[in-house]
Amino acid sequence: MIDHRLVLDYHLPPGWMAPFVEGLAQGQTIARRCEDCARTSFPPLRSCPCGASAGAWVELDGTAQIIHRTDGQDGSFALVLFDGAATHSVVRLDNLAPDQNIGRLAKSTGPLPQIILGPELESSHP
Amino acid sequence: MTSNPKVIVAGAALTPFNRRKDASNFRDWAYHAFDAALTMSALKRADIDALFVASESDFFTMQLNPASILASDLGLVGAAITRCEGGGASGQIAVHAAARAIQSGSAARVAVVGVDPSASQLSGDTVRALYGFSFDAWTDGMTGVSSSALYALSYQAFQARFGGTDAHLAAVTMQNRANARDNPGAHLPRDDTGQDIADSPMIAAPYRRLHCSPLSDGAAALILSNASALPESRKAAPEIAGMGAANDTLHLGARGDPGQFTAKTRAMKRACAEAGISPEQIGLAEVYDAYAGAQLQAISALGLSDDVFRDLDAGTFAPDGRCPVNLSGGLMGQGAPVGATGVGQTATCALLLEGRYHAALQPKHAPQYAVADTHGGICTTSAVTVLKQGGAR
Repeated sequence: MIDHRLVLDYHLPPGWMAPFVEGLAQGQTIARRCEDCARTSFPPLRSCPCGASAGAWVELDGTAQIIHRTDGQDGSFALVLFDGAATHSVVRLDNLAPDQNIGRLAKSTGPLPQIILGPELESSHP
Repeated sequence: MTSNPKVIVAGAALTPFNRRKDASNFRDWAYHAFDAALTMSALKRADIDALFVASESDFFTMQLNPASILASDLGLVGAAITRCEGGGASGQIAVHAAARAIQSGSAARVAVVGVDPSASQLSGDTVRALYGFSFDAWTDGMTGVSSSALYALSYQAFQARFGGTDAHLAAVTMQNRANARDNPGAHLPRDDTGQDIADSPMIAAPYRRLHCSPLSDGAAALILSNASALPESRKAAPEIAGMGAANDTLHLGARGDPGQFTAKTRAMKRACAEAGISPEQIGLAEVYDAYAGAQLQAISALGLSDDVFRDLDAGTFAPDGRCPVNLSGGLMGQGAPVGATGVGQTATCALLLEGRYHAALQPKHAPQYAVADTHGGICTTSAVTVLKQGGAR
């Protein structure tokens, strides 16, 4: 056998997705709204299904409803719908019990821009 | 207006799909598959105008230009060479590219070789991490979602709309693995029971380990030819009657219905239109069963059933059913060396139509039409090929 070990250190510019990537690091849900049909996508779609490519960045409030959830050795993931978005998102679940069907975008920790859904914050309002 | 030349499957061969432990590598497997297909075709190396190679990832082969190295190994220096990539659909995309080259008149006799070392060269965890970048590496990939989790979420959406139980997933699993027992080249020939499946580890609910296809090594090859460029002995072999391809939105969540394999439906319609048939005329199918539920989603999307759970219960897709599905064992039973998968599915259909497949799996009466269905991502890239019985039968 020929043993050959490769280590790859990528340095990836975020390109057009920079607002989305920077938002995740801050715990912000930065989505893209189509300037033609106002459809809002998260993760952002550069070209809208309506055919338009012009869009604006908008911040959603970060709350999402779980539509389908899967748990197992690969971890816990879900297909969710963020409030204000027209598209669903695939997210990693963090500390969300199976009976919790609403969560909030968590700040992405570490070097990778991860879409993580954690528990809703307790309201500070009376 | 002149019609396209008839594309004949003059040669078809697969190596065993499994985890190699014999110190052989992808260049050996590609050579053996090509050599066997060429022998079946009754052609010689010098007859081959072009080579199309399917390999999903340079990470697997550690070779940035696999078509060049394989052309040298196969004795095809001087031929036109192309490497095709479309994720899991790479092999079927190569079949299409090769057949279109013949139809266009740019080549008369073409070799297609699909190969990938998906099992023995890298650790399973490394391969699974790479597969995670088969989707959108910049969003889903960064989040770390696995292929199994994405397929599980898609199947849950399918179930929410059409129903289905754990028993249906078990039925697909047991049938494919049972078929694989009669395929000497299969990776997982097993007598799984419902209890075995229920006891296997949960990977991504509802998928347990036994609902998943394995990582495999292997190669498959085809020799396609303009009918007029073949010796008499091969002119009546099965033909490629129709091809269709389509893609879908990359993000599962951006699709109108994340449980529907819409690209597959589009690709099948295009393939059937080219063949001049309807899906009801398909008499056997090799479909892309990366997971047990994906087989059910595929059958539905291809239009092979308007109620896949009812027809599964009725035995429609069993070896003696109206439309046997995955007689080879499919990805779940035969195995899944990615680049080889689509080429192998088409090779299997051709061998079954010609009556040259493994005897225990050969239908008593070969049907008129078969379909080979392959996709990449979570049916993001779909490629479907309809094969037609040759003139000799």
